[in-house]
Amino acid sequence: MTDAPRVRVALVTGASRGIGRAVGERLAADGYHAVLTYRADAAGAEAAVEAIRAAGGSGEAVKCDVTSAADITALADRLDKEREGIDVLVNNAAVLKNGLFALMPDANWNLVMDTALGGTYRMTKAFVRGMLRRRWGRIVNVSSLAAFSGAAGQTNYSAAKGALVAFTKSLAAEVGPFGVTVNAVAPGFVETEMISFLGKEAREDFLKRVPVQRFGRPEDIAPFVSFLCTDGAAYLTGQTVRVDGGFVG
Amino acid sequence: MSSEDLKPRVKELIVRQLKLDVDPASIKDDAPLFGDADGGLGLDSIDALELVLGLEKEFGIKVQDEEVGVKAFASVNALCEFIRAKAA
Repeated sequence: MTDAPRVRVALVTGASRGIGRAVGERLAADGYHAVLTYRADAAGAEAAVEAIRAAGGSGEAVKCDVTSAADITALADRLDKEREGIDVLVNNAAVLKNGLFALMPDANWNLVMDTALGGTYRMTKAFVRGMLRRRWGRIVNVSSLAAFSGAAGQTNYSAAKGALVAFTKSLAAEVGPFGVTVNAVAPGFVETEMISFLGKEAREDFLKRVPVQRFGRPEDIAPFVSFLCTDGAAYLTGQTVRVDGGFVG
Repeated sequence: MSSEDLKPRVKELIVRQLKLDVDPASIKDDAPLFGDADGGLGLDSIDALELVLGLEKEFGIKVQDEEVGVKAFASVNALCEFIRAKAA
């Protein structure tokens, strides 16, 4: 039996819906074996994998809570054995727990920080060595307009997403010599379940500040992530790029 | 694995993994590998990371984190002791 060349593996967290799902589907279309992780929405993740396979791609849905060290260790061990690790990691999993800071319960601060920032820490730690070993890797952290725009009611989310910008720069400096790039994408308001709570007035206010004059779609974010993960993007690292329709404010 | 076999292997690993322009045999067993100490190799933290990767590849040993690494990597002797302990 001949040894088939190794297929590169892309892992996207929080990929059962929204931006994560769109990125997972796009990376699968780019030829990666896409590992889509989800915390609870198995149906969404399975549907994404179905779509990937229907399009002729390769993918799998894996239950993995990014706040669980045990889940992550188990996943990293399995992927190490089955596929010699991963090549692309998209740290996308995040939750919103909006509210005024002065009234914020500890649990809301902790959960938001632990999912987006803690999850990024744990996932990246579990998988970065494989990339260093193979001397090729792409880490993409999903930050947010919130890291820059300072909206009321989002101190926890803004802190977590802002931290990812700084983390991206620092990690990029460390792993650059090993052929691994680390970048972040900061989406603006993208039409997913995460912004479904926004009322009519908030939406109108937002649109006034967006030169492209519409909300974003997951398909507006996926192509840039796809580009970051190519061989051609090897000289681009440590950057955070806002994909927000030109939001002014 | 006898220490006589291990020391040359470790020295060769260091030179190869870090692409040093020195004869492996010239590395003293107890010379400090890191930092600016006299008679040492003057390696830095990126070199440490490379060594960790080299250990994984050559000996199948996983270095968990930096706390372990600092002690284990003090010198060729320390490194051999670390490898033997892990292989036991």
